Amino acid sequence: MKHFKGKALVLAAALAAAPLTLTAGHASADDVTITVAGSGGGLAKVMKMLFEDPFTKETGIGVKALATTDRASALKAMMAAGKPTWDVSELSATEYAIASANGWLEPINWSKLDPKNTLPAVARADDAVVVASYSTILAVRTDKLPAGKRMTSWADFWDVKTFPGPRALQNQPYDNLEFALIADGVAPADVYTVLSTKDGVDRAFRKLDEIKPHIVSWWTAGAQPVQMLSDGEAFYTSAWNGRITKLATEGTPAAIVWNGGGLKLSYSAIIKGTKHGDAAHAYLSYLTTSPQRAAAFAKMVPYPGFVKGLYDELPAEMGRHLPSHPDNAAKQFATDAKFWAANLSELKERWEAWLLE
Amino acid sequence: MTDSTEPSGARIRFHNVSKRYGDVAALADFDLEIGAGEFLTLLGPSGSGKTTALNILAGFTEASGGDVRIDGQSILSLPPEKRNVGMVFQSFALFPHMSVFENVAFPLKLRKTPKPVMRDKVAEALDMVRLGDYAGRRPSELSGGQQQRVALARAVVFQPAVLLMDESLSALDLKLREAMRLEIRHLHSRLGSTIVFVTHDQGEALTLSDRIAVMRDGRIAQIDTPDRVYDQPTTRFVAEFIGQTNLFDVTPADGGGVHVADLGVAIPAEGMNGAKAISLRPEKIRALANGSDAPDAGMVVFDGMVDEPLFLGETVQYSVNLPSGRTMQFRENRGEGRAPLRRNDRVRLAFRPHDAVPIVRD
Amino acid sequence: MPAADRHSILAAPGLLLLVTFFVVPVGIVFDQGLFDPAFTTAHFERFLARGAYMAVFLNTLRVSVVVAMACLLIGYPVAYFIVRQPPRRRPVLMFLVLVPLWMSILVRTYAWMVVLGREGIVNGLLMTLGITDQPVKLLFTTGAVYVGMVQILLPIMIVTCYSAMTEIDQNLLRAARILGARSGQAFARVFLPLSLEGAVTGTLIVFILSMGFFITPALIGGRRDMMMANLISSQVSQTNWGFAAALAIILLLATVAVLVAARLLTRRLVYAAAKTDTP
Repeated sequence: MKHFKGKALVLAAALAAAPLTLTAGHASADDVTITVAGSGGGLAKVMKMLFEDPFTKETGIGVKALATTDRASALKAMMAAGKPTWDVSELSATEYAIASANGWLEPINWSKLDPKNTLPAVARADDAVVVASYSTILAVRTDKLPAGKRMTSWADFWDVKTFPGPRALQNQPYDNLEFALIADGVAPADVYTVLSTKDGVDRAFRKLDEIKPHIVSWWTAGAQPVQMLSDGEAFYTSAWNGRITKLATEGTPAAIVWNGGGLKLSYSAIIKGTKHGDAAHAYLSYLTTSPQRAAAFAKMVPYPGFVKGLYDELPAEMGRHLPSHPDNAAKQFATDAKFWAANLSELKERWEAWLLE
Repeated sequence: MTDSTEPSGARIRFHNVSKRYGDVAALADFDLEIGAGEFLTLLGPSGSGKTTALNILAGFTEASGGDVRIDGQSILSLPPEKRNVGMVFQSFALFPHMSVFENVAFPLKLRKTPKPVMRDKVAEALDMVRLGDYAGRRPSELSGGQQQRVALARAVVFQPAVLLMDESLSALDLKLREAMRLEIRHLHSRLGSTIVFVTHDQGEALTLSDRIAVMRDGRIAQIDTPDRVYDQPTTRFVAEFIGQTNLFDVTPADGGGVHVADLGVAIPAEGMNGAKAISLRPEKIRALANGSDAPDAGMVVFDGMVDEPLFLGETVQYSVNLPSGRTMQFRENRGEGRAPLRRNDRVRLAFRPHDAVPIVRD
Repeated sequence: MPAADRHSILAAPGLLLLVTFFVVPVGIVFDQGLFDPAFTTAHFERFLARGAYMAVFLNTLRVSVVVAMACLLIGYPVAYFIVRQPPRRRPVLMFLVLVPLWMSILVRTYAWMVVLGREGIVNGLLMTLGITDQPVKLLFTTGAVYVGMVQILLPIMIVTCYSAMTEIDQNLLRAARILGARSGQAFARVFLPLSLEGAVTGTLIVFILSMGFFITPALIGGRRDMMMANLISSQVSQTNWGFAAALAIILLLATVAVLVAARLLTRRLVYAAAKTDTP
């Protein structure tokens, strides 16, 4: 009996101590876990395999990835509550612009994040790093083109005489105002100069008036233009580049026109008030500064980053289809996230009114 | 409503009516004639076809064959509303969104009765069921018995020649049911319409009816006045379904009578030709005083042992074990001047031969 | 413990749920829409100042009314048909009615794209039959929105009507018949008034759901088929919470107003239908 009692006591003590041990482990300075707000879905699996797990293995820093949407709203709520629960967040260009303008992001210490200077200036912001890029491009059902013709520009998209057929555009002012100006003869580099004046915006909307009757659908989700192209619902549409590459490899005769595409940057940033600034820097460095890892990522997800040497690590044929490839990047304009953060609300209002006209 | 211009009840004739559901015959070769102003009850267990017969008469169910005539006119091709038949449903089927007045006025309104006449008739019908003060109520505000009476008033307010009642009392509690029996009887004599009443309750059938048609498996097993159905059942089924009885198999005896093996007695020949069994009502059997002979020389006497006395109030019913191993029942009034029998008392029992009813069919 | 106290304790979990998931969120929405940070009507003024927003609001109302009415006109007879079937067949038919509810609205909306598209089933049939040689524009139209929304919401209407109809004692109809009503009269005077509440409830549920519809108009409608929910979502993602909240309040109040009006009207209708002795 006594013997048994002794054993029970030992067991009880062990059980009581177990959670304590675990907690102690977490609390130690070296064993940090950072919370990263990501997109979830298939992308999250790739991120875990290529970055999060190897990073944890190498540094001992844990990564807890969350599937999130509408991160600007979430950040606004967190800041209002005064308790950010994320350390790092992926941010779309617009989300980044909002977050940056509101001061919700920590400044980046570039000597810590990129000591070897592998990232070009385009990939460096004061308070964020560019991790990926994608383009809103003109996608064409090549089998629906008039015989012997090729569509090569937004001017062609606007030319309904030479290229008859149903068209689609996104139900957003951004990209479309730029496309309209480019179709109207504005050089891609000057688009935001023109747009920043009232006359420029009017000019863009006037140009959009021309194409409006020929747009069968104003899409709201990235899957729609793909669906419409494959169903023949639209012959020509704006779309996100990665999805069109995928559609083409699946056998639909679809092609990307890089000319006049809107190159968009995806950011990762450190959230204001994080307790794990060093770990977050280390993670972002791991995420963005290795051409090998970036190439492995680009092979799986056609939204590449900007690290030097990336295209040396990729087969030429694959690189050709990526938005940040030097040949493609040269023909596009870079979407100005700060312009849109400042003007989206007002232009969206005008856009909605214009659509209903 | 009882003046001489009132139409009296109509004659109803079922002629070889049948109803099949797939392979199942709900009604087979159903032949029935109901006299004008007669109160006829279709009595039987569930599935016996009584409700099918009623629904065919009402027009809710289409007959598979045969003909139904009211006052000589075939009605099978008429929709229910053209048959001039009133009906009281088991669930009363009062319209819950209408007041009592509107419920009773409903058939008159459909017949485009002028307003003043309608008001008078509704008032008269409600007075007849003693609900004159309830015209403005909703059915949900009435008790079960009151709802039943509204349903009655509604069924007769347009003076149909035929009134159908489908298990109309079974939703009421026992006391109310007995009171309503009297009320329906009274109503029948006052209205003079032909009433076809469907029930599985033999008590209702016996008290209300001019004639009872006992139904079984889609056919009429026996049709007769209540007392004859009770006293002279011709089949085992009727004998057992109506009242309580003791049934004994019999075999032809030498000399023309029958021999009852279970009782160890013979019954003389009278009326026993072709009998397969006899039915012996418990109240027709008497217990003889200890050791004494039958008071009447013609009585049939046998012995048994009391198993279980059952106190019923005015009467006591005894379960008696017979030497053959069977048990039978007999009933007597209390205070016959003899000490009550107790369990395991030996008893000598007797009955008059003509109280043994010959059963010729199953 | 007095009985009243015990009862209030039993009600506590329900009350807590109601407060947590209904009162608090709605309160927050009102707070967002009316205080920024001091009391302001600016967001509502913005709504009224722009004709476009009013147009979206009126469009939302119109679409919801049309869809609710169409669901009523189709769903009520379907439910009636099913109720009149033999009892053994009814669960099978109801099952078939309910099957689409297990598919997401997104999937069903995409299915309509397949049906109504330029190279879709309907256009294919029309061209095969030679009725037209060019594809007819069916998709990305207001008509497509109606068709899609009605198809999505119809099961809810049918279920609501059906359950109200099964509550009606079939003997009431028989009673009406034998008391002298033709089948049409029995329907109009007994069945219709008794099933009216269910039909109105179904119509209102469909109306309320329509008011908040979002995916279907965006996917298969034209550019003018914008609904309040689309507007709210777009304002939320731009972090214009105050204005989004104001839009939500307007939508909520409009829905409640229609609800109250419909209830009052129904009570009159049921009452009028029941009256058989009015001139």
